[in-house]
This record gives sequence, structure tokens and C-alpha cells, in this order.
Amino acid sequence: MAASLNSSESDRSSLGGQSASSRSNNRSLRVAEKERRRNEAEDPFVLALKYFSVVEAGTPVVGNDDFENNLVLVERTAYSQGLSPEAISIMLEFAMSLRMGTAPCARVLKCLIPASVVPQEAVVRAAVWLSVGKIPISTQVLFIKWVLTVFDMIDAKDQLRAIYGFIFSFVTEENLCPFICHLLYLLTQKESVRVYRVRKLLELQSKLGRQPFLLHLLSLYKVFCPELVTLSIPSRMRGAFRNHVSPWKAALTAVQKRNGSLAGSSVSPALAVRDKSGSRKRKHCHLQLPALTSVASDGARSEQTSSRTLVPLAHLQSFDQLLKNVHRIELPAQMGSLLGSSVALQYLDCIQDESALLRLNFWLGCALHEEFLFCGDGATQTSEALQFLSRLLSAQHFLQEGFSSSDAFLYKFLNVWDGSLLRPQILCLLSNIPVIPSSQIRKLLFEPLTQLFFTSSLFFKCGLVECLNNMLLKWLTWHSVYALEDDLDISLNSHTSLNITLSGFKDSVMELIHFVGHLASVGLQLEGCHALLLSFVLDFYETVCDTFLKFGLPLVVMPPAGVFYPAFFATDPVSVDRLAHIMHRYKVNLTSAKRQEKQKEAFHISRQTFQEFNHCVVFMVNCLWNSRMFYPGSDVQPGEELLLGSGVPRYWASFDFIHHPAFVSYALDFHQKCWPSRKEMDLSSIKDSKPWSWYLDYLFSQGFDGLKDFLKSNISRQAAAVDEQQR
Amino acid sequence: MEQTNASVTRTPLDSVAVKRKSKSRSYRQSYRSCLGVASRLGLTPARRLTTNRKAPESHNITRQVNPEHLALLVKNEWQLAYVTPLHQFRHTQLRSYARHLSAFVVAEKQQGLAVEVSGLQNGFKASMTVVQGMSEADDDPETVLIQIHSKPLFSRPDDPQKLVWSGWLTCINGNPEYLHSLPKDFTCLPLFVYKGAENLSSLVKSWVQRTFDCCFGPLELSQTSLQWLAALWTNCHAESNIQHLRMLWTLPSAPPLQVTYAVDPHDVWELWGSVRKGSWGDGAGEARWIDLEEVASFMQSLKSHFYRHFKLDLSAGILNQVSTALGSARFNGRIKISNSAYVITTLTLLTECALLKMPI
Repeated sequence: MAASLNSSESDRSSLGGQSASSRSNNRSLRVAEKERRRNEAEDPFVLALKYFSVVEAGTPVVGNDDFENNLVLVERTAYSQGLSPEAISIMLEFAMSLRMGTAPCARVLKCLIPASVVPQEAVVRAAVWLSVGKIPISTQVLFIKWVLTVFDMIDAKDQLRAIYGFIFSFVTEENLCPFICHLLYLLTQKESVRVYRVRKLLELQSKLGRQPFLLHLLSLYKVFCPELVTLSIPSRMRGAFRNHVSPWKAALTAVQKRNGSLAGSSVSPALAVRDKSGSRKRKHCHLQLPALTSVASDGARSEQTSSRTLVPLAHLQSFDQLLKNVHRIELPAQMGSLLGSSVALQYLDCIQDESALLRLNFWLGCALHEEFLFCGDGATQTSEALQFLSRLLSAQHFLQEGFSSSDAFLYKFLNVWDGSLLRPQILCLLSNIPVIPSSQIRKLLFEPLTQLFFTSSLFFKCGLVECLNNMLLKWLTWHSVYALEDDLDISLNSHTSLNITLSGFKDSVMELIHFVGHLASVGLQLEGCHALLLSFVLDFYETVCDTFLKFGLPLVVMPPAGVFYPAFFATDPVSVDRLAHIMHRYKVNLTSAKRQEKQKEAFHISRQTFQEFNHCVVFMVNCLWNSRMFYPGSDVQPGEELLLGSGVPRYWASFDFIHHPAFVSYALDFHQKCWPSRKEMDLSSIKDSKPWSWYLDYLFSQGFDGLKDFLKSNISRQAAAVDEQQR
Repeated sequence: MEQTNASVTRTPLDSVAVKRKSKSRSYRQSYRSCLGVASRLGLTPARRLTTNRKAPESHNITRQVNPEHLALLVKNEWQLAYVTPLHQFRHTQLRSYARHLSAFVVAEKQQGLAVEVSGLQNGFKASMTVVQGMSEADDDPETVLIQIHSKPLFSRPDDPQKLVWSGWLTCINGNPEYLHSLPKDFTCLPLFVYKGAENLSSLVKSWVQRTFDCCFGPLELSQTSLQWLAALWTNCHAESNIQHLRMLWTLPSAPPLQVTYAVDPHDVWELWGSVRKGSWGDGAGEARWIDLEEVASFMQSLKSHFYRHFKLDLSAGILNQVSTALGSARFNGRIKISNSAYVITTLTLLTECALLKMPI
């Protein structure tokens, strides 16, 4: 009952919305209305309607010119601009009451094309006439077909639902049955499903055989009350009710188009027949999402219905419906089915019931285990697995987190994975793993990943580093959300059953960063500092260098030498530029942390971190700017004789802005542009103060913003000037 | 670190309930991804088969269990499967479940024909009953027997219905820690033992899956489980003659070599006695535990004996089947228990195997 009241209210409010503007200046409108009425009195169409509303019963049709003229008038209006609600009421009443016999009835019905809405009362009255008058069966069918066609334009359905039983009584009429079933399908609500109705339909089934219309109505009954009826629809009987009346529909759309309002009239209901995509016989079909079905609950049913009516999730088809019913949604029989529908996924986001989530996780875990871990014959159907994982990933992406059963699965799967099966999907799942306590992270994650990393191709290495970067990003984002809510000062332990404190979280993040640092150092060495891998590694450090400012995590970890030097000595300028950018961001983070440390002792950065950072910066500045590659205290200090013996001229300047392999082509280009007439190439001449600053400007103009920022923050103009004087 | 460990023993339900009031959206999210049971089991190291178990005692199970049920269990060979915990399963609702199952089977058999649930089905009739006495520990939910009777198509109306399918859902000595970690509305009957037509099996499975939102998977018997069974059965020889210990091995040669290895019961018994540590002889009471090491050395002696005679090392092969007069078990999860006295021991082992298969 509550449901029908609700729907009628909403219908009314939507009607109110339409006329809201007219309500504003009621008075003047009323005057205008009167005026209009007076004009209309002479309108032949209004007169025609009047004729049909007052015409007396028993008036002959044959040879009745009045009747003919008026009906033609109505028909013309109907086909050109549609009939108003009042006109529909009048004409329907005229036709169904058989005031002028059965002859004009069908003709009138055919022209009942609504301009806007169909008043519910008119339909109900007409339905009542069905049992009173002696309407020929073909006309009755025509009437029901008309109702089906205009069903979405009926302004409210509560009264129609109230006479559900009355309408139901017509199913025994053999010719009407298919159409009545369709109408009932559109009107059925949980309250209307009753044992005696089910029995009646089953009785009909035994009489008529397997009729799709009966089955589809019964399948809807099953959605509402699976404890009353059960059935399985064969896949060939997929098509729902085929009661399209094309001329009507065509006329209707034509009128609607002309009126500029295209109300979606979905006459054929979307029927949730289980999609058996994997219909070919498979031994294991764990990867099939279960269908959304409702729970059959015998014992608990009586009490539930008395307290409140629950809406099965399977019956909701749009987000609007979901919102309207969100307080009384009944979970489906199988939680796994939630992953299959986008509406259900929305609902999953608000489920807080532990059992429900556990059910989902049992299903998901079982599917993953059976398919990827337990399958002895290794006959994984890759296309299905791919589809399944993509669906899982899109669900996780929507919810912005993983499911615990898929995490548990991954911890096991990583030990047996060959690193190539469904790599993008598995890596993507992996990146959704939530924070792992640092005590377990090594065993669960690092040990299997290390093995995979060092035994796989370059592309896997890149993929893994990217995946770990995404994981770190998600962890940091997770933290930053909490940090914002909890004012940064409290531990996170009140949120999860994992009990991670802020320091515990920091430990985990640090472990992860060190782990990637280790992988990257060795990986770069193994792959000969491959530019692609280097690029992914630099991506990772772009995340790392900003942990404090971007994500509010008081942690600064420097890249290891194995990453820093390959990036610096890279032959492509992009890598060097990105390294410079990363160092610049480190500096910004560190200085801002230091400032905060002074203010409120937010967190302490170890002296060693500063030392590491300074070390890197001094090295970069000395190499690039000062042409002093080897200086006391640097990491690289080969013996003097060795350097002389190498035969490299001016070895100390090999990695300055001019001679660095990444920039030498720019230097040459600049040289040519600067001194086009010179025959001899003398790169050292760029070192002079004027061309030097031109050269830098030239470099910056090539888009090396990282270098620009780096130089700006690390070399003050005066220092530069002093430098030049020294030179 | 300590805190994480502490969380292992904490019941997440309680802690969660308290927090729910105070926390907003962010809390809920983490709640979903760090689900109590799941996270604990996901982070703890992999569960393993117990390394020592009680020696089988001949249970006088016949006194507790309906002899008809016992006869059914003993005389057939069964297929094994595992089931994840059943949601909203009530032992008190079995009658209505049976009605649903009957209707479901009939509806699936006659595609495109709706079936009234409460009506009498003339094609198939399912029944579900509790097997009284078929549980061991206090935490074990009671065993449920599912049977499907059918009338042959061209039979006289007064012909009795024939039993065409039967299956058990059971849990014997289930790991109490696991059973307790589940919320109250879950019933854990992890071991599913069934026999009958393949299509009926899959119908019953899919009905149980849909009704109690659980999942099925095949339960194979690992090498270790088979060796355990061999040892456990051998250990019973003193009380009930095992007649022979027969093992079927497959060796990975080309073409694959099948080896049937049958041992005289007295020899096996003596060998088993020689590998039994300490507790041998004093038979009574507390010392009757069998250790995995004993089982391993038992198997090793059997293998080395074989090697001495045939110069074939069975360690390279796969143990496919173990059988004695007490029962037989196959690698692919088919088992026959021939002596009702040792049903509990065998089912305890199988329950353990089934619980190991749980995804979380």
C-alpha cells in the first residue's frame, strides 16, 4: 500500500511541477481562462467533443451526418496534435459505454492518441465497462492494446493497481489473456502476488501450455515471491511480450515529435532473463556472475510484510528507483550478483552489513581460487577470465577500493603466477591492495614480487613499477583523506580492524618505497639503464618526493644511488630534466617540513635525509653548472692517473650543461644559431657569461621546466655571478 | 606490530559496532576492505593440514545414528566437494527447503514451465533431514542429508518412488577457531558428499548456491591426505581386519606407468608398528596420537621396500588411490567408507581438507 501511495504522490508532484509556473499569478490566469473558454465555445472541436459527451444512447450511426462530421473532426485533431486529457476521457467513455452501439467503438479507440497524458480515471472507468457492456472481444483486445501502448502516459497508476484483482479476472478470457498478462506485468507489485493468483496462472499454463506471456508474468511473480513459484526460462524464450502495435506507436511518436515532447514509452519491459553467455558446456563455471534474484523466505515472511514492505533489488532498474527505495531494499539471494548491475553497485557502496559483505567475499574468493589456483588442468578460459577480471576491476574502481577476498587471493596467487597470464588485470588488482602492516608486507608482497621482477622481461618490470606506484598513490590518498578528517594528530587505529597507527602506516609506506628503490636500482643495472624502465622509476619518485606537501604524510625518502646516478647520467634529456624536477620538489618539501618543524614540531626529519639530499644537489650543481665533476667528498673519486690515462680531455667538464650527452646536441644547435658564420665549433665559448645565460634561456625554451625550477631554487643569481667571476 | 597481532584475537564484530556510531564515510570504506574475518585470514600464513591427529577409535556410531542413514553412507562410493558457509540456513526449515528444492528440480527439468512451490510434484520429490548424532565436537552444526526420489516415467501409480540422488552436508570436528570467526547467520557445513546423476548434482548445487549464497568446488584429495588415510586405516588393523593395503601409483614415464602396490595386512601392521614412536603397545588412553612424521616414514619404508624389489622409486610418481577393507579413496575426490566404525575419523580428515579450501 505504501508503495502505491508513494508513487501516486510522486506522480502528482511531477504534475505540479509542470503547472507550477501557471500557479504564480493565479488570478490573471483565471481571467484569461474564461476568455479562452468563451472563444472555445465556438471551436468546432469543442463542439464535437460536446456532441460525444451528451449524445444519447441508442442514437443510430448509419446515416448520421452529425456523428460522422464530429468524429472526422476529432480524428483529424488526434492525428495532427493529439487529444487533450479531457478529450481522451470523453471519447473513451463514449466508445466503451457503447452508447451508439459497437460499430464506432473500434474506430474511436484507434484515434485515441494522447497529446500529453492519459487520465487514470478514464482508463479505470473504461476497464469497468469491459465487464458491463457487450463489447466484442476484438474490441476488448484493442482496448487493452491501447492501454499498453499509452501505459507510460497514464498520469498515475495507483487506482489501476487497486483494481489489480479485477483486471486479473480477465486472464481466463483466452483471447485477452496475452494482453492482460502484459498489463498485469506492468502493474504488479509485491502485494499483488498471491497464492491463488499463482495457482490460477499455473492452471492456465496447464491448459494453454508453455506460453511466453504466462511465463513472463510468473517470472515477475518469482522476483517478488520466490517462495511461491519457481521456473526457469529457456534461452530461446527470451523475447518479452510481443504486443507492439506499430500504427499506434508511429502515430504517437509523430504527435509527440510535433508537440516537442518525447516521453519515453517503453511498452516492452526489460526482462531480466539470465544471460547465458557461456552457454557452451564448461566444467567449471565459477566466473559466471549469479543472476539478481530475490530471497525466498518462508518463515520470516509474515513478520517482514507486516512491518515494512521490502523492495527486491532485482526489480529496480534505474538510479531514481534506487534512491526512492533506498531505505527498504532487500538484498538479493546471491551477493555476487551485485557486481553485475550498475544500479546494484551503487547500492553496494552503502551496504554496511558485515554478513552481506562476507557473502560477497566468499563468492568472489571462491571464484578466483577455483579459476586461478585450484584448476588442475590449467584450462583457464582466458576470454572469460578477462571479462570477469575487468568487471571486478571496474567494480573496484567504482568503489575506489579492493575486496578483501581478492587481496587474500592475490597473496597466494603471486607465488604461482608466471607474470604473463592476464598481466594488466592482475597488476591492476594488485595496485588496489590496501595498506599491509610492515611486519607482513615482506612475506606477502615483496618476496613473491622480487622473484617475479628478476625473472621477467623488461615490460613486466615496467608494469610492476607502475603498479607499485599506483599502490603507493592509493595508500597516500587513503592517508590524506584520513588526515584531513582526523586533524593529522591521531592514529588511524580507530578505523580498521587492522589497527594501523600513523607510525605503522609510515613504516609500511617506507618499506614499500625502499623496496621499489631496491628493485629499481638492480633492475636498471640489469636492463642497462633502459630509458623506458627509467621513466617508470622516475614516475614513482615523482610520487615519493611529494609525500609531505601533496598527501600530508610526514615522510621524506631519498632515491638510492642506484636510481639517482642512472637518471643523472641518462643520455636522454627528458630523464635528466625529470630528475631535476624531482630534486626541486624534494627541496620544496624539505624546506616546508623544516619550517613546520620549527613551528610546532610536526615531525623530525633525520639528519641523514638532509645529508643525502644535499649530497645529490651538490653533485648535480657541480657537474652541470660548475664543471667540477670530481670534488672531495663526492661518491665518484677515481684516481688522478686513471683519469689522465683514460685520455678524455677536460674530463671534469664532461657532464656540464654543454657536454652532458643529453644536452650536447642542444649545445651544438645553440652554437650554430648563435654564431652561424663560425666555421670552427668551439663549445667552450658558450661558457662565457653572456652566451651562457643565453644558452640557459635557450634550454628553458625547449621545455626543460624541471631544470629551470631546479636551477632557480638551487643557484641564486649572486652565486652565479660570483661563479662567473671566478671563472 | 603488536597491535596487529592483538587484532587477530579480537572479535571484529564488537569493535566495529562501537565505532560505527562515531565515524562517517571514510570509516565505512575501510570497513569494507578490511573485513574482519577476511583480513585476519588473508594476512595470516597459509593454513595447513594438522600435523598430528588422534588415532582412529572405533566409534559406536551405530547407537547414535539412524541405521538406515548409516547403511546409505557405508554402502556407496561418494564424490567430494567443499561448500563455503551457508547464509541464513536453518535446521528448522528443512521441510520448506525440501519443497523449494523439489519445485526447483522440476522447473529446471521442464524448462519453460512454471511450478508452484508448495504444490505436490509428481516428477521428483526432494527430502532434507537432519542426521541425528552425526556430529562430534560441540561446535559442529548437525549433518544434513538431502535425498531426491523419483518415479520412473512409465510406472504404475502405486509403484514406490526410487532414490535417485543423495548427498550430505557435514562438518565433523571443524576447526573451532574458524567456525567461531563467522558471524551468527552463517552455518558452516564445509563438506559436501554426494552421489547420483550428474545433472541432478549440479541442480542441487545450484539450488543450494542460490538459496544460501554459497559456492561449491570440487574437493580433491592431496597426496598427504591419501597417505594419512592409508596410515589411519592401517592403524585400525588390530581392531578390524583391513585385509590388504592397496595403493595405486602413476609414474611419469612414457607411456605412463600404473603401479598397483598391494601389501599383506600383517606385514603392513608390523611395518606400521615399527615406525610408531613411543606410544606403541600401551594402547590405552592419552598416547594415541599419530604424527605426520610417522606417516611420512611409514610411506617412505613402503616405497623403499618397493625400490629394493623393482628398482622403481615411487617418490617420483603420484599416489592415485588407497584402499583397504575399511574403505578406499581416490585422488580425484571419490571415497568409499566401508566400515561404519571409522566414519568419524575419515570425515574429520575430509572436513579439514574442505576447510582448507575456503577462500577466506
